[in-house]
Amino acid sequence: MNVFIELLNAEFLIASVRLATPIILASIGATICDRSGIVNIGMEGMMLMGAFFAAWAAWKFANPWFGVLVGMLAGGLFALFHAWATVSLHLNHVVSGAVINILGFGITRYLLELFFGHPGTSEIIPHSLAEYRFAIPLLSRIPLLGPVLFNRTPIVYMMYVVVILFVWITRKTRLGLHIKAAGEHPIVLETLGISVKKIRYIAVILSGILCGLGGAYLSIENGNSFSEGMTAGRGFIALGANIAGGWTVVGSLIASFFFGMVDALALRIQVLGVFRVPSEIFLIFPYVAALLAVAGLVRKSRAPRALGEDFQIERSGT
Amino acid sequence: MFETSKSFLVIRICTILFIVIGIVLFLGSRHIGLVFLGAACVLWLIGEVLENGKKHLIEVLKSGFKTIRLPLAGIFLAFFIGGIFLLITGYQPLKSFGAMIYGGLVKNWHVSILNAVPLIFTALSITIAFKGGLFNIGAEGQYYVGTMAATWLGIRFDLPSLVAIPLIFIIAGGCGAAYNAIPAILKVKTGAHEVVTTMMFAYIARTISSLFIRFNGGDPTLSAHAYITDSISESTWLPTFKSFLPQANYRLHIGILIAVITALAVHHILHRTRLGFEIRAVGLNSFAARTQGIAVGRIILITMLLAGLLAAFAGVTQVLGLDHKMFENINAGYGWNGIAVALLAGTSSIAVVFCALFWGALDAGGQYMSRTLQTPTSIVEIVKGLILFLILARYLFRYFRRKA
Amino acid sequence: MRKLTVIFLLSIPAIALSGAGSKAVGTAVQERIIVGMATDANGLGDGSFNDGVYAGLKKAEDEGLIEIRLIEPASMTDYVPNLSGLAEDGAELIFAVGFLFYDALLEVAPNYPDTMFAGIDLFYDSPMPPSNVLGINWKEHESGYLAGVVAGLMTREYANRSDKLNDENVIGAVLGMDIPPVERYFVGFTEGAKSVNSDIEVLSVVTGTFTDQAKGKEATIALAEQGADIVIQFAGLTGMGIFTAAQEKNILVMGADVDQNHFAPEYTLTSAMKGTTQATYLTTLDFIDGNFKGGGNAVFGLAEDAVGLAPFHDFDFVVPSEVIDAVEQARSDIISGAVDIPQTRDDAGI
Repeated sequence: MNVFIELLNAEFLIASVRLATPIILASIGATICDRSGIVNIGMEGMMLMGAFFAAWAAWKFANPWFGVLVGMLAGGLFALFHAWATVSLHLNHVVSGAVINILGFGITRYLLELFFGHPGTSEIIPHSLAEYRFAIPLLSRIPLLGPVLFNRTPIVYMMYVVVILFVWITRKTRLGLHIKAAGEHPIVLETLGISVKKIRYIAVILSGILCGLGGAYLSIENGNSFSEGMTAGRGFIALGANIAGGWTVVGSLIASFFFGMVDALALRIQVLGVFRVPSEIFLIFPYVAALLAVAGLVRKSRAPRALGEDFQIERSGT
Repeated sequence: MFETSKSFLVIRICTILFIVIGIVLFLGSRHIGLVFLGAACVLWLIGEVLENGKKHLIEVLKSGFKTIRLPLAGIFLAFFIGGIFLLITGYQPLKSFGAMIYGGLVKNWHVSILNAVPLIFTALSITIAFKGGLFNIGAEGQYYVGTMAATWLGIRFDLPSLVAIPLIFIIAGGCGAAYNAIPAILKVKTGAHEVVTTMMFAYIARTISSLFIRFNGGDPTLSAHAYITDSISESTWLPTFKSFLPQANYRLHIGILIAVITALAVHHILHRTRLGFEIRAVGLNSFAARTQGIAVGRIILITMLLAGLLAAFAGVTQVLGLDHKMFENINAGYGWNGIAVALLAGTSSIAVVFCALFWGALDAGGQYMSRTLQTPTSIVEIVKGLILFLILARYLFRYFRRKA
Repeated sequence: MRKLTVIFLLSIPAIALSGAGSKAVGTAVQERIIVGMATDANGLGDGSFNDGVYAGLKKAEDEGLIEIRLIEPASMTDYVPNLSGLAEDGAELIFAVGFLFYDALLEVAPNYPDTMFAGIDLFYDSPMPPSNVLGINWKEHESGYLAGVVAGLMTREYANRSDKLNDENVIGAVLGMDIPPVERYFVGFTEGAKSVNSDIEVLSVVTGTFTDQAKGKEATIALAEQGADIVIQFAGLTGMGIFTAAQEKNILVMGADVDQNHFAPEYTLTSAMKGTTQATYLTTLDFIDGNFKGGGNAVFGLAEDAVGLAPFHDFDFVVPSEVIDAVEQARSDIISGAVDIPQTRDDAGI
């Protein structure tokens, strides 16, 4: 029991925040996308693109802030492809997502050789965002929570803004209402004179931008270079978090944080070396936790009604 | 009238016979098999003319051409875009793709077939789940369960082949089904989405598999061959074509025949049985199915079990036929590639066979191209992604037609 | 639509023609010996043996001695066809990289008796390999041992020499997966540290991946929180994370395989090196001179100068001469056989 008390300290929570941040960003992206009725399983690919271009721009222009921008842009553009394929071309959403993942891996590997001349890893970026870590004056003095939440690096703060922004968007704004309607009753929305197509485009691109930001976090804030496959399945975990969180922003946040915590815990228990078992046992940990979360929490939640369904209106004369 | 249908029947039987002989001979590296296949085609045409007249044949060919036109255009376009990518980096696109086609279809065709065998099974697994309105994203996990069960049994079994092999198929398949039963029950009882649960189960199976390998002869701290299990006993190996056709490539095993038969069986189950009808009904509209008196929960459970069984078969054939031992096959991604194949096939279980062969040929040809011309392998991934997109985006062509 | 089609069709010959002017492929000088290289499923860019072997071959190619044929597999099922394909393409010497080639090499080599095969990180003893197969190994435990000596001394006795070292007698290691080379490195590192500092605590984390930087970083931070002030990585690309973690936690780290000082010069004490590049180059030269002998194993260690420690760079003035003497002592003890380093955790009893 002492072991667990030793584990549950501020450092552990900080590690959880670090590991959870990219998952939170991507899972909120997934939530927005799914709420509009478009399934997004291509987040792994979008995150990879974001991570790659962020690292490239941060290296090329020696400015990590530029990297963040370019990473978000790359994620958004890649998502635009998803939106175009699913909304305009009526391609099966899962197919398009699978294509995005395949292309994400292929293109980043290809461009790595083209831009940096060698596969594997990019050059080390001259300045990483970790240098811009700052404590928010008053808030960081709060016991326990202060150092955990308010003495962090820029993208973590951006993540807070994203969470608040998207809670606000989904709950209070017209856009949020339209996004939800597009996922529940697209025909009703269309008869009200609002273009389902446009709303879905917006939602998908937003999710891509968030994935790009999550990817950028991995390559230029948490790390200082891009390496092949560095997202390591976080896009899929985010998808799980979104569903475990019941397709809501807050639910996604909680589920993602939970996954981050489990990940951090698995590493820490190993360091303490209290259990002498093969290391693989610890690696199963996060997935079992995710499974229990999904099985336990999803009971009451429900997917958007029109999720994954194609929406098409035949207009005469055009 | 009677005369016609009798000769028609004879021709049909001959056609099927020729196809079977042709395939077996071809797989045994006897190229005369191609003559048989060609003859089978001609016989089929004659049969069609005899039965339905010339006009009908032309109609059939026309509609066949229509369905195949867009996919062909898609493949062509994908190679075209891939060629531009190659050109940018300074490789010769025509030569590269020539090597790819030569490698995949001529030089290393047996590798294409070996690649295709597990893909057929995983794609069938995903197809049957799709038909039931479920998305079995975790076929990879069931594949690992299948390999584990097959290896465990294979190492320990000392029975004659005729008993051992079917027994391993049944038990390992059962393990795969049982493994998928948990997500299925979660889905029915709590509504937990199968995409997440099967995916998590895939990760878990994969991690367990390295533990399994550790305890079956692959302990990195003890053995020279870390992360590879002991070999299974020889009596459990699937027969190779070489054992009855001496010229055949020594690696090619009869797994491909099992895969094709399984595809036919799945087609039969889905389209000719009550169970298949119920699965499709639930997949189309579970509310309507329920009002028809179909026990939706039970059907979901059965569908998931079948999906698990099929995916596990992929692992079994791979272990018994090719590897004869188990290792953690990093990057193989039979689950993911299986999804791609299933989608390409448009959830038709017969088309799965051809699409898997095509996918396998792309991989084998890509390896050949990369080896002989030193073209980067990432181009193959890009072309694969583009093919998937362009073939499935049937609206793409309509879209451009409208714009132009 | 028709317009698009026409443009599309017109551009095909254009592409075909322009291809003629691009990089000439396959027009190499015929006399050069073709040397094949089959990577494992991770491919080039793993920051470890694949890259190391390629660099060695590249060196030989740049000197005009050989022509490289490289092939990266899509999955493990490609290993056998890749090896036999390279042999069929006329490669006279083929490097199979990574311990996962163990069976593939045994399967392919007998079919091509005129082709020589070198298996990187492969050790054959029972059964002995065919006469055209050579297993090439490194004594990673020896370079790990030297790194362990440095870490063991620096973390306690000379902790006052750097503000990045603390009072606790703890060091750590981040491992990728429990594979034989990683195992040898880690056991050597532990033994080396214990040889100079018997009550030292060596912590370790297995991340289970060779590609996840973020996890490598978190593992290092977790180690640092338990008091480890020197952390070494044996984790490929995952290990990239320890350099960013070092900056965050202000500790010292050590690289592996090659001199990784450039990733974080102010925090990288040294690196435990493994001379994959040099050994590959030498093996290739041996082959050209006709001295390549199969049917056994070649093991490269300190005695062959194929493993060792990287320079201290910025830490030349931090590391006292006593430590350097201890390293030299350990080096000569290992070469003379006075010190026998176990190679597995079971042997070492840890």
